[in-house]
Amino acid sequence: MKVQGAFTFRGPRALVWDLLQDPAVLAKAMPGTKRLERTAPDRFEGVMKVSLGPVTAAEFALAVTLRDQLAPERFAMDIDSKGALGFTRGTARVVLEEAENGETTMRYESELQIGGKIAAVGQRILDSAARMMTQKGLDALERELDARLAGGGAG
Amino acid sequence: MKPASFRYFRPDTLDEALALMAEHAGDAKALAGGQSLVPAMNFRIAQPAILIDLNRVSALASVGRADDGGLRIGGMTRHRTLEHSTLVGDAAPLITAAMPFVAHPPIRARGTIGGSLAHADPAAELPAVVLALGASVVLRRRTGTRTVPASGFFLGLYATALEPDELVTEIVVPPRAPRSGWAIDEVARRHGDYALAGVVAEIALDEAGAVSAARIALFSVHDRPVLAHKAAEALVGARPDEEAIRAAASAAAGHDADPSADIHASAAYRRHLVGVLTRRVVTRAVERARGAAVESRP
Repeated sequence: MKVQGAFTFRGPRALVWDLLQDPAVLAKAMPGTKRLERTAPDRFEGVMKVSLGPVTAAEFALAVTLRDQLAPERFAMDIDSKGALGFTRGTARVVLEEAENGETTMRYESELQIGGKIAAVGQRILDSAARMMTQKGLDALERELDARLAGGGAG
Repeated sequence: MKPASFRYFRPDTLDEALALMAEHAGDAKALAGGQSLVPAMNFRIAQPAILIDLNRVSALASVGRADDGGLRIGGMTRHRTLEHSTLVGDAAPLITAAMPFVAHPPIRARGTIGGSLAHADPAAELPAVVLALGASVVLRRRTGTRTVPASGFFLGLYATALEPDELVTEIVVPPRAPRSGWAIDEVARRHGDYALAGVVAEIALDEAGAVSAARIALFSVHDRPVLAHKAAEALVGARPDEEAIRAAASAAAGHDADPSADIHASAAYRRHLVGVLTRRVVTRAVERARGAAVESRP
């Protein structure tokens, strides 16, 4: 499955970059994340608990490895999650561009493989589910950025 | 396949059911017809700790004429009951017309309207039907009752306004407007499968034959059932001729639908279907509305 899109943040690129490298922020941006820790300079590990309609409390172990980092412009991630209901594996690429009025445009593109029971049963709604989680994540990032710009948020 | 273990309650009255929902809010799922929940539990993608079985709560399984001429349908009313009810056929023929599209007869024998709305599958017919009817959903919890218009009930993918301690107790359908017509159609790979796309319409005409009200609902082309506002705008006030209907269909496909792709169909194909189905459904609804106008002439 492909998930791609663009999103404009109302803030400078360096700040958006910092947000995206902060596990505390990423944990908020990934719906259902119960824990996310930096286990190596370029690696995060944690646990996600996804509840969606009839799917109640599917727990996944999650590992994200950052690579090809070029601050504050671009990075890529390898994503690997496993749980009783299935797995997700894939890569995502994120590019940050300076836009007008001090804003930052983020382009994201990911290619994910989803397998196991969740793919067999939920194929029909994977795309909608991915879109919904992406939107929730972007909303959370935006809130965090606004908080930081207001001088309050510490992540 | 067998479900994970769970605690089971089978209340006999609505008060008992609401008390259990209050006590176990968040851990409990209400069991209505079980046509979606039980398979999900057997696959173990759903593992509720507690099930509260509503099948003995007879107060929830009634269909009656409302004082204003509309319908009041209990949440535990089976699809089959609605399908064969002459009262429903008279007061809300759109519901009768939708029933043959809802899965298969064995599923309709068990499934309930309240269960279907609470589950809020984006590809289900009944959520779109209640939107097109302009119906309301009555939600009860131990401490009170509220009525939510269908247009405010569906919030997202399998997400509704229902709180964890609430039950869908009733669906209130307003009386039909004079000179109104209805239609539903969908495209599915096999009859009874989840639709690739579907459209439901209720159209009312004024005395001059122009569209006075149009509610067109789309299903399986968004994360939830949606009202096609742009399509309705294209119709209201216009004479529903071929050109106006085509404009509505292209607005529905181009603006109101936001389909996803899956292994069954691409987003572009689903969008195309919305256009075709909207044209078909609105045309039929208008024909019926004109027929109703002829019938009601003195």
